[in-house]
Amino acid sequence: MKAGLEVRRTINLKSFEWLWETQLGISVLSLGLSVLLLLIMSLMFGAQPLHVLISLFEGALKGQRSLVSTLSEMAVITLAGLAVLLPIRAGFFNIGGQGQIEIGALAAVVVATNLQGSPAVVILTALLTAIVAGALIVVVPLVLKIKRGASEVTTTIMMNFACIQLVFAMITGALKDPASFYGSTHTIQESFRLPVFPQALGTHAGVLLAIAIAILVYWLMSRTVFGMHLKAVGSNPTAARAAGISVNKVLICSVLLGAGLAGLAGGIQAMGVTYKVAEGWSKTWGFTGIPVAFLGGNGLGIIPVAFLLAIMETGARYMQAMTGVPSALVYVFKGIPVLVFICLTARRGLYHKKRNSD
Amino acid sequence: MVDSWWGDFILAAVRAATPLVFCALGILLAERAGVLHIGVEGVMLIGALAAIMGTVYGGSAWSGVLLTLVAGVMAGVFLAYVSVRLPTDQVVTGIAFNLASLGVTSFIFRLLSEDLQVIVPAVPPLVLGFGPFALASLVFTAAMWWFLFRTGPGLKLRSVGENTHAAHASGINVVQVRVIALVIAAVFAAIGGAALTMGWVRSFSDNVTLGRGFIALAAVYFGRWNPFLALGACLVFGAGEALAFRAQATGAGLNPHYYLMVPYVLTLLVVGLAGQARGPGDVGKPYLRR
Repeated sequence: MKAGLEVRRTINLKSFEWLWETQLGISVLSLGLSVLLLLIMSLMFGAQPLHVLISLFEGALKGQRSLVSTLSEMAVITLAGLAVLLPIRAGFFNIGGQGQIEIGALAAVVVATNLQGSPAVVILTALLTAIVAGALIVVVPLVLKIKRGASEVTTTIMMNFACIQLVFAMITGALKDPASFYGSTHTIQESFRLPVFPQALGTHAGVLLAIAIAILVYWLMSRTVFGMHLKAVGSNPTAARAAGISVNKVLICSVLLGAGLAGLAGGIQAMGVTYKVAEGWSKTWGFTGIPVAFLGGNGLGIIPVAFLLAIMETGARYMQAMTGVPSALVYVFKGIPVLVFICLTARRGLYHKKRNSD
Repeated sequence: MVDSWWGDFILAAVRAATPLVFCALGILLAERAGVLHIGVEGVMLIGALAAIMGTVYGGSAWSGVLLTLVAGVMAGVFLAYVSVRLPTDQVVTGIAFNLASLGVTSFIFRLLSEDLQVIVPAVPPLVLGFGPFALASLVFTAAMWWFLFRTGPGLKLRSVGENTHAAHASGINVVQVRVIALVIAAVFAAIGGAALTMGWVRSFSDNVTLGRGFIALAAVYFGRWNPFLALGACLVFGAGEALAFRAQATGAGLNPHYYLMVPYVLTLLVVGLAGQARGPGDVGKPYLRR
């Protein structure tokens, strides 16, 4: 019986084995299953599943304006994903991306609306300030973890809420544009906005920047000494310490870097898309970063996953208009893929354990 | 006048603390059995929605509670299957579960928004202005303490949390204990959500829990995994929240959003003060039979 099973698998399923044997395969499989679930749910509304899928993609990719907004969305989600990916490799689960994004955006807007000078200098200063602001926000949870042993799961979440309220307080108070009825900062003047680059595509320069950073992070994590140390610290801190790696230094670097990228995500969104921070300006990018980091698995993998999630985000409204399926359906897509991913990964681990002990 | 201010304030603090107490009891039970209950926020959110749905469609508070219990058990069985049976990393599973339940509850709320965007009737207070949820939370706190520290099954459960393999060697079914603990913990968290929507704000909105599950986590750590101490910590957080709303209402010059930061900053301070709390020995470790 058992031998028969073995044989059948080698004959029929060999070519699909990568689907549940590799990390990439499991990511693809869980995204696929989630899309399938989405389509099955759309049946409840009496819509054609294929039509739903096509209209989702059409709404996100057809026409330059939709494409540009999808790509800008992708840039933010990519950086938010990196903000989770880097720290988690060192054993720090950064759930505080949302707060870091909001503070980073606010910092960038403050610089860009107050500083005078040549556009290049102002834009670069604003983006750097966003990075620094994002990194500063994570210092509290980081210190609490290293000095007091407090779990970052609680502290980063608390920082999120505190930061969101702080941003609200600022945009309705100290930094409010008096001309605006709602809470909002001043608008960044035209010359200090992120330039459109490349011209042919029409996206702001932050999109290319985010992709470049993702590639850089991939290189950093897989091809450098730092990446090696990061892996060692994440998988076994005791062994890493014994091998002479300064565990805390690696942890601090990766966490600050990750949070800085979240700050940058806020910065490029504020300087390239919204041009200000106002009430309800943001989406929950920080949390979207979590599934992106898990399903992406590395710097390169994050890009396509972020692209897919960005399509879900920007195509939803068009889909509702075309098919009558409520756009809220894509909410389901936020957590389900990563749940499926975790389950499949665990099953694979179990399967191998059983096979090894047999 | 002063008396009534204090009376109102205490009532408001207890009202704000009640959802936290239920969640904290759930977290405590799960962690005493060695399972991190990070998914508490998600279960709370599901419970909060179920309570409103049950009240609206069933027509009474009882049906709200009933649906909350059902939702809690379902969420608990799912969480237990994923994080105990498979098993997976408990932190990652919890966070993913929170994300998924935020998505699912927002979806259901949008779908049924015509029916669910209502203010449900207030649950009448029972004794001295305290509602049934607040009183029940007190009873359950005492019951939890008694169960954990004065009964045989409670001892078994704690031994699973301290050292799974020793517990297994002494003939305890570790997986079974953890599954049951997690299901009950999820039911507690769901009731916490119901205490929030039915017992306090009386309506549902996206992400209505606003991190309260995580505040309850902090309360458990600060309360050193003891039900009564955790209850005390929840009251401190509840008082912080009540103070924030009070100050916001009187509008003492400062921007109201600063006051809304209070519960979260308070939690950070408490976590910093509590420091390296040592929990049950095997908490967070997935159990695989050797």
